[in-house]
Amino acid sequence: MTVAPAPVREPAWSLPRTAIGLWVTESLISALFTLVVVVALLIWVPSDVGGPVPFLRWAVPIVAALEVLVSVAVRPWLKHRVYRWEVTGDAVYTRTGWLSQTWTLVPVSRIQTVDVTRGLLQQLFGLATVAVFTASSQGTVRIWHLEHGVAQRVADDLAVRAERTRDQAT
Amino acid sequence: MTGPGEATGPHRATPPAVARRTSRRIVLVHTATFRQARQLVPVAIPALAGIGLGGGRWTVVALVVGITLVSLATAALSWWRFSYLDGPAAVVVTRGLVSRSTRTVPNDRIRGIEIEAPPVHRLLGLVRVRIDAAAGGSTSAGRGAGTDEELLIDGVPRAEAERLRTAVLTKRSHVPAPSPDPLDGGPAQQEPAPEPEEELARFDNRWLLYAPLVGGYLAVPVAAVGALSRIVDELPDRLLPDVDGPSLDSPVVAVLAVVLALVVLAVGAVIGAAVVNWRFRLVRRGGSLIAVRGLLTRRHTELEIDRIRGVAVADGAGMRLVGAARVNGLVTGLGDAQRRGQLLPLGPRAQAEELGRRLVDDPGPLTPHPAAARRRRIARAMTAGLLITVAGAVLTATAGWWPLLVAGVVLTVLGVPLGLGRYASLGHATGPRSFAVRVGWLVRERAVLERRAVVGWQVTQSWAQRRAGLASVVACVGAGRGGYIAMDMAAHDVAAFAVGASEPWATRLVPTPSGEDETNRS
Repeated sequence: MTVAPAPVREPAWSLPRTAIGLWVTESLISALFTLVVVVALLIWVPSDVGGPVPFLRWAVPIVAALEVLVSVAVRPWLKHRVYRWEVTGDAVYTRTGWLSQTWTLVPVSRIQTVDVTRGLLQQLFGLATVAVFTASSQGTVRIWHLEHGVAQRVADDLAVRAERTRDQAT
Repeated sequence: MTGPGEATGPHRATPPAVARRTSRRIVLVHTATFRQARQLVPVAIPALAGIGLGGGRWTVVALVVGITLVSLATAALSWWRFSYLDGPAAVVVTRGLVSRSTRTVPNDRIRGIEIEAPPVHRLLGLVRVRIDAAAGGSTSAGRGAGTDEELLIDGVPRAEAERLRTAVLTKRSHVPAPSPDPLDGGPAQQEPAPEPEEELARFDNRWLLYAPLVGGYLAVPVAAVGALSRIVDELPDRLLPDVDGPSLDSPVVAVLAVVLALVVLAVGAVIGAAVVNWRFRLVRRGGSLIAVRGLLTRRHTELEIDRIRGVAVADGAGMRLVGAARVNGLVTGLGDAQRRGQLLPLGPRAQAEELGRRLVDDPGPLTPHPAAARRRRIARAMTAGLLITVAGAVLTATAGWWPLLVAGVVLTVLGVPLGLGRYASLGHATGPRSFAVRVGWLVRERAVLERRAVVGWQVTQSWAQRRAGLASVVACVGAGRGGYIAMDMAAHDVAAFAVGASEPWATRLVPTPSGEDETNRS
């Protein structure tokens, strides 16, 4: 893959490595569901039906196996390389995605609400997500999978600074 | 139960705010329109089905009388239990039959007031007032622009509605002042001298002829025909006239039917547009824009100019053929923005552009996007067709069923002009105080936004875009749709565009010149 320069700057900080474990676990759980669907297909759809069914009977399991392989063994590490974040004096900045990447920048002065959420799996790994909301439905920044203490500190700090610097333009 | 709160014309302003009631005449309106009784329909239908309609004229009469009585009772009850109060700091609406609900909206959260007069209301000299309030702001209830709430005060005389509007808007503009002492309420209540009006747009009835080329208006006759056919289906067979099937040759019939359908569509679209936009007028009065329109229901919408962050000029594929366009104001914290934000519902393109320029600085001509964006648009437009072609090929090979394959090939070929058209729409521009982005083919929209409107940037780059040196940029704004995209612009222009289109904080996006990525990664 030719490495073209990124369109915008890369945020400074990466996520803790425990996030990889979380992503692997998530992938394993969804792999279980995939497995159930594929097995159900092989058991209950008879092979002697005409049309595309015989083709699907071997195509679907192969695709599913590839998907599981990528999501468990490759994607978590790719994600860990892509997911980055930073909080500076005047803005919150993140990069998310893996094949498709998204950079989101929101100035502290336009922050309306800051939330910290901890999902079930996140609690097992001691992680939390900081969500920063603005007046725009599309202008939401989520900093995924920070260590819980860090997330709480970031959220508190942002909330205080947003309160201080909020302007009325929105 | 009437008391001093019965709203009749301009009230004495200063005494402690009393809870007011809506006009008693609204009971009549609601009885006639079954406003409250309508909620009982899901209960009533099974009940009726249980009792069974034994036929006979008296059953029907009894039914009609009964339903009307129920409607009268519910309308009277809900009038009795409804009151509103415009206090010095908030508007309070109390309602509810069994469980009382009180909704309090602080004046500084009120974003606009809309007065509408549906036909039955007009007969009795009443109007309906909608008070738009932004939920949220700093509270945790606020989740983006989509969570606005509104207060509905249904059935006050027009004069009272005007009083309410002036009172609420005046008080609101005084709230941010440093001294909100009660004495301030006195002078603030005095009627401000009527400010001069400036007309920004007036609907020309000839513009109605554009309507058949606008998707939204074409939907009107389709919906009407759909509703009609459903009614016909519901009617018992013996009520339907006995129509013999046409006995003409089938090609003639087919052509006639198509022509007839087209005529019905066109006429229906024109009528639909006329009903909604009749005598549309947009005027500027003081710091507000006021839009008035409607044939049966007159709507009177007020927008604060201070809250206008931009305009969107939209022209669909059909509208471009005749040079028509429509203008929407992008206003912060406006509920139901698609309808209320309309500044010119339909009109000649030149006039639409002119209106847009008067409200927001024009950032100049759009910069087209690079050639890679054209290839990508074409590829994307062909994707659906290609997928269908592949599925069709599988079906042809396995089951010998070929129509899907043909459809897929046709769709794939049609993707080329579609992709070219979509590419031609793409563009962005930055100016000293505003910026513009344009996207879309079937509905093309050029949004012009003020730099201060941007509350965030979202840059996305898919794997294919990275290979092609492109990226899409969404300007997040707290108005309109919440985000406006500059699709497939050159990746190396992204940071400069963001900096040029928003405030200094966007310089955080600018890549640092040499090899900083590597130092960070280690």
